Amino acid sequence: MNSFKIALLGLLWMTLLFSCDSAAETISPGDKNNMIIEFDQYVGNEKLVLNSKTYKNTAGEDFTISTLNFFVSNIALKKSDGTEVTFPDQYFLVRQADAASLKLTLKDVPAADYTSVRYTIGVDSLKSVSDLSQRKGVLDPASYGNDNMYWSWNSGYIFFKIEGSSPLSSDPAKVFMYHVGGYGGYTGKTPNNLRTITADFGGNTATVRKDISPTVHIITDAGQVFSAGLRISTTSMIHSPAAAKPVADGYVNMFKVDHVHNDKHDHKE
Amino acid sequence: MFKHKKVLISLCISAYLAISAFQISNIQRTFFKPEIPSNFPPPVYELKANPLTEEGIELGRTLFYDPILSSDGSTSCGSCHQQFAAFAHQDHPMSHGVDNQFGRRNALPLFNLLFSKTFFWDGGVHSLDFSPLNALENEVELNEQLDNVLKKLNDSEEYRDKFKKAFGVSEITSKVFLQSLTQFMATLVSANSRYDKFIRNEGGLLTAEEKEGLELFEQKCSSCHATGLFTDGSFRNNGVPNNYRFDKGREEITLNASDRGKYKVPSLRNIEFTAPYMHDGSISSLEKVLDHYTSGVEQSATLDPLLKQNNQPGLAITDPEKKKIIAFLMTLSDREFITDKRFSEPELFLNTPKPNEKNHSHTNNR
Ligand code: HEC
Ligand code: HEC
Repeated sequence: MNSFKIALLGLLWMTLLFSCDSAAETISPGDKNNMIIEFDQYVGNEKLVLNSKTYKNTAGEDFTISTLNFFVSNIALKKSDGTEVTFPDQYFLVRQADAASLKLTLKDVPAADYTSVRYTIGVDSLKSVSDLSQRKGVLDPASYGNDNMYWSWNSGYIFFKIEGSSPLSSDPAKVFMYHVGGYGGYTGKTPNNLRTITADFGGNTATVRKDISPTVHIITDAGQVFSAGLRISTTSMIHSPAAAKPVADGYVNMFKVDHVHNDKHDHKE
Repeated sequence: MFKHKKVLISLCISAYLAISAFQISNIQRTFFKPEIPSNFPPPVYELKANPLTEEGIELGRTLFYDPILSSDGSTSCGSCHQQFAAFAHQDHPMSHGVDNQFGRRNALPLFNLLFSKTFFWDGGVHSLDFSPLNALENEVELNEQLDNVLKKLNDSEEYRDKFKKAFGVSEITSKVFLQSLTQFMATLVSANSRYDKFIRNEGGLLTAEEKEGLELFEQKCSSCHATGLFTDGSFRNNGVPNNYRFDKGREEITLNASDRGKYKVPSLRNIEFTAPYMHDGSISSLEKVLDHYTSGVEQSATLDPLLKQNNQPGLAITDPEKKKIIAFLMTLSDREFITDKRFSEPELFLNTPKPNEKNHSHTNNR
């Protein structure tokens, strides 16, 4: 298996060597490429399908999911030599309803071998209180339409949002909605539900070269939202930072790196 | 050949830059420096990030009074924030918006916002720029969505034109929309009451009774309603009866039980015009407010210690003293502010559709 891979790689190098004049094996200063982080969304072992599929949480509660959104920010990649490359000022909004948003593209990643990724679920406090000129792209409160990700009454972003239905919900419409936000407060201390995830590539490396643009697949298990004791039968609505702590404490467990593809891709620019 | 291409490209780019620079310089903008009263602290709002211009302010004023900001075209910011009431909502214990639905809290007056650290009774919003979103998206206020408002504005040629003049943009984004509302609200500085003219030695006089009232005020009230802005910007529980079922005040933001029933200390400037009083509008007159402070203060775990004497809730104020305090509070009325034409509804209103024009003003159908 391994030797087969090596042979394949060797073949790749060969074609490469013959097709262009630069060797990918060696890293020249300034070499860079994109890295893609892709979220493969599941509930337990089943693929996440919005609305139509019924899942069970650890307490045996049946539920469906109609919305799953979360912000990813402050991504940092760790190299095999232990140093880190950070990507400040890049904010991504992952929305299950928008397939394209499941793939995050990190641009201009320096060529190196990477062994793990760290990121924040949410929008850090600095950005959460920044002025209007910084509220661009997914941070623009006008960009959410009906799928709001900003609390206007308690200024700040909704870091993570999961909504769905369950026969066990105490809500008359049998829905549940968990909205998590809270960056720790500006003028006074308020709840902080920012959570940092570190996902190790499990011995794999994501190889960035001038002509290799890897894709890191992160498997998410939305069922982990309930892993810190949250129950739909007792809590069907969460719309404030403090109430949201159990949700955040649950979803920290939902991200695992599954595999890495080191695909050949020219850096486009 | 290749080199020529490059030259061509850079030529094109510089030509484009030159044209856009010309376009920008072609926009006539007049910068406006807000006057900072000498008896005020320095502004909190970062004006450098949003320099005020006559054009931006005028545009903000138009937006403030335009019901295009509400879902059914019935309500504008000005419906709840009325100039004659110092931009509070007169006679409404709970402000109401579209479909005549009632909100949960008494509208706050709008003035001296440049000097505020936090906004709303519970301080949930920390920037003036973001405060309009609250009303805009609240279903009992304007019941709109920011993206939809932007769409409506972008569909209007007049607004596109105005935004171009004020901000040099061809598309109306949340940034310039919110900045223009801020620009108008930033100009709402109220500092020309009789008290101000007295304290700044500008020829204002206070009667003996009013001066005694000021002294009493400084003894009993100004540790919270600090002179200058007449608020220290802190959150406190002043013992307004509250069962916390519908409103927990600051606790809703901090989720700290020690903040239960605490509200931002409101300014007492223009207090003559902003009845009813308190976050829930539960007190109808200043006489009753003073009665509250002597005999209505409700004991609770979070009651401010300044409002307890010998472990008994309430302040000791005699009836004649109350009269003097009220006489002093009346000197905080700024009539120039509530009649200043620069802050009034623009006469020449834009040609935007207003389907429910008849409902526009519903101050009296309570
Ligand atoms: C339906 C009535 C209503 C409408 C319409 C309305 N407001 Fe308000 N406004 C209120 C109420 C009520 C409060 C206080 C609410 C609270 O503190 O919870 C308030 C508070 C504010 C504050 C905070 C003031 C302070 O000192 O903290 C600002 C700023 C403000 N409004 C601006 C606006 C703007 C701009 C608009 C138009 C986009 C608008 N409002 C539309 C009712 C309204
Ligand atoms: C411990 C701090 C504190 C002291 C001392 C205090 N106040 Fe207040 N005051 C507040 C707070 C907080 C509110 C808002 C409470 C609410 O809305 O529930 C308030 C509200 C008011 C209001 C209503 C304002 C409005 O716009 O609705 C008036 C009038 C007032 N106070 C007058 C006074 C006077 C006069 C004194 C002195 C006799 C005084 N206060 C002393 C904290 C204080």
